[in-house]
Amino acid sequence: MSQEILDRLKQGVIDYDEDAVSDAANEALAQNVNPHSAVFDGLVPGMVEVGRLYEEQEYFVPEMLMCADAMYAGLNILKPHMSKKEGASRGVVVMGVVQGDVHDIGKNIVRMMFDASGFEVHDLGRDVPLDKFVEEQLKTDSDMVCLSAMMTTTMVGMKEIIEKIKEKNPKCKIMIGGAPVTSDIASRWGADGYARDANNALKDAINMIASLKSIS
Amino acid sequence: MSTLTPRERVLNLFAGKEVDRPACYSGMGNVTTVALEEIGCKFRDLHGDAKKMAQAGASSYHLFGYESAVIPFDLCVEAEALGCAMNPYDNVEQLLYPTIKEKAIHTEEEITTFSIPDDVLERGRINVICEAIRLLKKDIGQEVAIGTYLLGPFTLAGQLMDLNDLFKLSFKKPDKINHMLDRLADVQIAIGRKFYEAGADYITVREMGATTDILSPRAFNNVIAPHLKKIFAGLPGNNVLHICGGTNSVIGNMNDCGAAAVSLEFKNDMAKTRAEIGPDPLIFGQVDAYSVLVTGKPEDVVKGVLASLDAGVDAVWPGCDIWPTAPLENLKAMVETVREHGASRWVRKRA
Repeated sequence: MSQEILDRLKQGVIDYDEDAVSDAANEALAQNVNPHSAVFDGLVPGMVEVGRLYEEQEYFVPEMLMCADAMYAGLNILKPHMSKKEGASRGVVVMGVVQGDVHDIGKNIVRMMFDASGFEVHDLGRDVPLDKFVEEQLKTDSDMVCLSAMMTTTMVGMKEIIEKIKEKNPKCKIMIGGAPVTSDIASRWGADGYARDANNALKDAINMIASLKSIS
Repeated sequence: MSTLTPRERVLNLFAGKEVDRPACYSGMGNVTTVALEEIGCKFRDLHGDAKKMAQAGASSYHLFGYESAVIPFDLCVEAEALGCAMNPYDNVEQLLYPTIKEKAIHTEEEITTFSIPDDVLERGRINVICEAIRLLKKDIGQEVAIGTYLLGPFTLAGQLMDLNDLFKLSFKKPDKINHMLDRLADVQIAIGRKFYEAGADYITVREMGATTDILSPRAFNNVIAPHLKKIFAGLPGNNVLHICGGTNSVIGNMNDCGAAAVSLEFKNDMAKTRAEIGPDPLIFGQVDAYSVLVTGKPEDVVKGVLASLDAGVDAVWPGCDIWPTAPLENLKAMVETVREHGASRWVRKRA
């Protein structure tokens, strides 16, 4: 019975069917399916499959955004019922799109995976002044800072943020991402990792989480 | 020695007349920090000042020999005329391109009902652009081609409303989105005509919001191509269609939109492109505007230019706006390589 509900959660995300996911999430609660399992064995595998479809170019950004809505529909129902221990933060992440850039779709998709995976996310939004990242990192003592830029013309601001954060807190991991970013740029600027492009945002988010897990 | 002026070379290319070699110019912004120092102003001061804008536009010819002068340097002109508020980042130390801070469309209903002012052609900075075109025309218009650009309707829509909503509604309610884009195409035709009347020699229509890692080829056909076709049918002139990213999956459709030339960046596989659309269409590109022109060495630039020529471009130009810190020696290397090798390596002439 529980597997059937998990499958419906997963399929609802893949089919970007918010109603189906909400129904399945409510049923999961009614039937005492562990909410943690509903998220990690239902919603998250759905998003992983969405990521695969995206990579294979069956899905594109509009589909992915709708899948994300379906995922959040389930997450909003299930999360309040997760036990304290299960709901305990796996890490603190500060993220945002750098100043001069108002393109936040990639960042939002990465954020969703962090949300779903139980991280405490401090999302600074888009068009974020450079110093704000440094301030927020210090304030929250976050394990990671994720910087996103969708344009070449704004990417260059990342370099300064990375330097300032590393100067104040060398242990903080910094991930950068966005269409113009390359691994070469990431390593030259001293970032710890990067998300290759929009196509890989979701997959890379999952990888980032995995790599953080191995760090802790 | 060739007797063609840069302007003649560019215009003859569009007209299908004999030219000695591919031109080396651009359809997008080309201001450099060196130019800004010479003019004695900050990047943010260019956007609203026709005189400074024209000076900065002319600098790509004066400083490194581009066969064009292109203005403006930001992407907010049309959105501003339609009622959006632009953020020039007046109080930010580092150089930033302006963005839209206040959208004009806030609800799903407004997508179909938002008003287009009757005097939209007099609003925002449209007259500033026209004045800068006239100043450039007077200054170097005999020698080089004067270019400007417009946003594609979908990219413009992404500035007028929330981008997430635009993407989702393109999928869920394409009729509503198409209705809006059709109206925006009319606006772009009117603005483009005004730019041509002011003296522009060519206009690049930049539909960079519609890259193939964002929208499916199916969506391109349904919500992008029809409006680009409308613009190119309604705007007589030397129009170029530019889309960034990997464009191979939509290149046939791009080519059918009716522009005089298409502009592609380095992510397009030109061998496949030529195989699909044939040798005739004019293709401009495809030098990497950041990793080659800004962070590369002059020898990387030479390599990038030769690769573009060998791939079969008819004009060598950057795949995007040049980031202002691009070293002058790189930009000079770009122009010199085309001058030296353009004629012998031009695929169109070798065929």
